[in-house]
Amino acid sequence: MDLNEEQAGGVTVLQVMGRIDSTTAPVLGERLTAMVGAAGARVVVDFSQLDYISSAGFRILLLAAKRADQTTSKLVLCGVSGKVRQLFDLGGFLDLFTIAHTREEGIAAAG
Amino acid sequence: MSQTETAIRNCREEFPRVVDAVDRFAAEHRLSQGVVGDMQVALDEILTNIVDYGYTDHADHEIRIRLRVIDNVLEAAIEDDGFPFNPLESHAPDVSAQLSERRAGGLGIHFVKNLMTEIIYDRVGNRNLLVLRKNLTT
Repeated sequence: MDLNEEQAGGVTVLQVMGRIDSTTAPVLGERLTAMVGAAGARVVVDFSQLDYISSAGFRILLLAAKRADQTTSKLVLCGVSGKVRQLFDLGGFLDLFTIAHTREEGIAAAG
Repeated sequence: MSQTETAIRNCREEFPRVVDAVDRFAAEHRLSQGVVGDMQVALDEILTNIVDYGYTDHADHEIRIRLRVIDNVLEAAIEDDGFPFNPLESHAPDVSAQLSERRAGGLGIHFVKNLMTEIIYDRVGNRNLLVLRKNLTT
């Protein structure tokens, strides 16, 4: 898993590339929880270059979403397609997170 | 080579060795990215379960993972000497709960059941033997 962070008009975009599994999920969790831990943070997580995500990754996303609620931060996901979308669907997560189609739409939704 | 076997100790730090073994095996057999992804997720879930819940004695244990392709099926056989655990008997998680009530427990086995074509569990002596099968044509 590789992470790439960019700023776009007050919104932080975190691109996650490769695989989220029980080995890599803690690294993502640390970064994401810190990002949404600041009050009123606006974060987009781009999964368009992600191969797959296991339950360890969803556990991290659930924690980040709950943390974002506490800090009135906005957490938007984008690029959820193919295999990754299938896993979101299996876990019933498509309605649980704010999911935008493209990165641009994600930035608009978070901003 | 039509079969490969990897043995790891019961700790998460060993998991990347299994991921690499699956990648190598997949490359040798030209398996599709979709099939490989499904098997990687399933193995991550099963191995996590074994390491987290299979033992209480804090001792080292060996977990063996054998991969093979047979009759157009990718098969992973996982053998461990942890507590008896039949994933087929585990209950599905509530995947409709709202964020505040949502728990990730049970999700991993739910994924395994839905991603694999067939799952076979056997308890042989003091060992769990779990076979995961994924059709290569789906």
